[in-house]
Amino acid sequence: MMPSIEVKDLKKSYPKRISLPFRRVEWVEALKGISFKVRKGELFGLLGPNGAGKTTTIKILTTLLEPSWGSAKVLGYDVVSQAREVRRRINLVAEGERTLYWRLSAYENLRYFASIYYVPKDEAEKRIRELLQLVGLWERRNDLVMGFSRGMKQRLAIAKALINDPEVLFLDEPTLGLDVQSALFVREFVERLVSEEGKTVLLTTHYMAEAEKLCDRIAIIDGGRIIALDTPENLKRLVSEGETVEIRVRNLRPEKVKEIDERLAVSEEDPTHGTLLLRGNLDEEDLPRVVERLIRAGAKVLSVERVEPTLEDVFIKLTGRALRD
Amino acid sequence: MAFLAVMEKEFRMFFRYPLRVVSSVLVGLVFLVQFVYFGQAVLGGRYSSILHASTGVGDYPTYALIGYVLWWVSVSPMEASVWGIRRELQRGTLESNVASPMGLLEMVVSLALSWMLMDSAIMAVVFLTGVIAFGVSLSWVALLKALPIVGLAFLAFLGSGLVFAGLVMVFKNIGPFAQIFEFLVLFISGVFFPLSTLPAWVVSLSKLIPLTHSASAVRKLLVGMSYLDVTGEVTWLLVLTPLYWLASYALFKWAERTARVMGYGGY
Repeated sequence: MMPSIEVKDLKKSYPKRISLPFRRVEWVEALKGISFKVRKGELFGLLGPNGAGKTTTIKILTTLLEPSWGSAKVLGYDVVSQAREVRRRINLVAEGERTLYWRLSAYENLRYFASIYYVPKDEAEKRIRELLQLVGLWERRNDLVMGFSRGMKQRLAIAKALINDPEVLFLDEPTLGLDVQSALFVREFVERLVSEEGKTVLLTTHYMAEAEKLCDRIAIIDGGRIIALDTPENLKRLVSEGETVEIRVRNLRPEKVKEIDERLAVSEEDPTHGTLLLRGNLDEEDLPRVVERLIRAGAKVLSVERVEPTLEDVFIKLTGRALRD
Repeated sequence: MAFLAVMEKEFRMFFRYPLRVVSSVLVGLVFLVQFVYFGQAVLGGRYSSILHASTGVGDYPTYALIGYVLWWVSVSPMEASVWGIRRELQRGTLESNVASPMGLLEMVVSLALSWMLMDSAIMAVVFLTGVIAFGVSLSWVALLKALPIVGLAFLAFLGSGLVFAGLVMVFKNIGPFAQIFEFLVLFISGVFFPLSTLPAWVVSLSKLIPLTHSASAVRKLLVGMSYLDVTGEVTWLLVLTPLYWLASYALFKWAERTARVMGYGGY
């Protein structure tokens, strides 16, 4: 069966600086040759820290950017030479809240986007009603978007992205900056889109729990490269059970952590209490030695706990860094 | 139709800022009044035989009013390209439009057309106010006769203004650069004074500007001359319009490709 998305050796470089008068252009490699396939009806996640290349990948797949090398196909159509065919069949929830017209109402926004996606008028009216009801904004349809909360804007952005009933939906950090309730709504909604409507979804996130809960398969991306690709369960198997440790310390500067042990990374920083939560994959023999080194470095060890491995531990194991770094 | 949706959206958003609408009309009137009184002061009265001899229109308010209104409309596609696209970039909505099947070219042309129609509505108010305030005598027949020329002029204005759509996608903030052109057009296309007062090389240069010919043709028709009297101007417009559209299209395609390499955002 033809994959919904097929990416082969994709590379992308951006010009960084044009310094006059020499007109010297420096190129920054955002993608260094990534390849993956997404099956029809799959919820596929791109997980990685900021600047890893997630948004660049989505922009190439949604025809907003041209790759420097390699190829990408969506539903069998090349994203460069058949961009228009791709655009008819996909839609995108872009990162950030300013992807809608704030001076238009919710209804006017959807009607506008229905028109530029060439949705027939009668069908558009029906779909706008359904979508606004589905995202819980039907009662507020005539209100200007500028009066909406961040969560409401994101719900409307999702409704907008479904206006052309796309076969493939791209979601770029869909829960970024949302309150807990709105984020939960978005996650459940995305799950339903895949399980009930059979949509193919490619989602980028840097929230590990989100990727773990939602995605059928996850590609972990770092520095423009895919460093692991599998189901969440298989990825977590990369870290041996019982190996993961969480150590909460006080009086330790984050930059000192790597000097103590390369396998440790800062998972959380609490400036109010002056504490750091360190995570790492350490076996039985190493743990006492690491704790001793922490104490010798002047840190006060508050707790040491063995925990279930998460995708963050996979990331730490593969890169030596926590996802937040 | 996608272009109708873009136009409807632009009109809705424009008229949701009532102060902006009123201010636009007032700005139009303030500049007009200043230019007309300044011109009359220089000429020593409202009628000038020199003006009549070189342009066919001797009444200065009539001369200035027509040129001024057409200038305002002529630069609106340029303004739409520069400020309209910039606003989409700042709002973060440009990529939502580009990623749709409508595509960027249709969006930009629709945006320019919307702005030109909005400016035409504002200028219609300014024009009527000017006609009444300065006692300009015009006939409905002459106005109707001028409409085909105005339509042709609009096509030429759109083509020339869209040159800037390509530039704004690559260079982003070109507002001040575009304003130089706007005022250059005002200066060398015979809006407030006849071209005969300018050096020969400037007059030659002015022939490349659609406003020069459209203002001249509309003035002649509004003072009662026939289509035969404006064949020269119409020929120029018919030659310039496709040239500007072709140049705009080529520049736009280059800019679109460049933007797809560098990214549309990052304003």
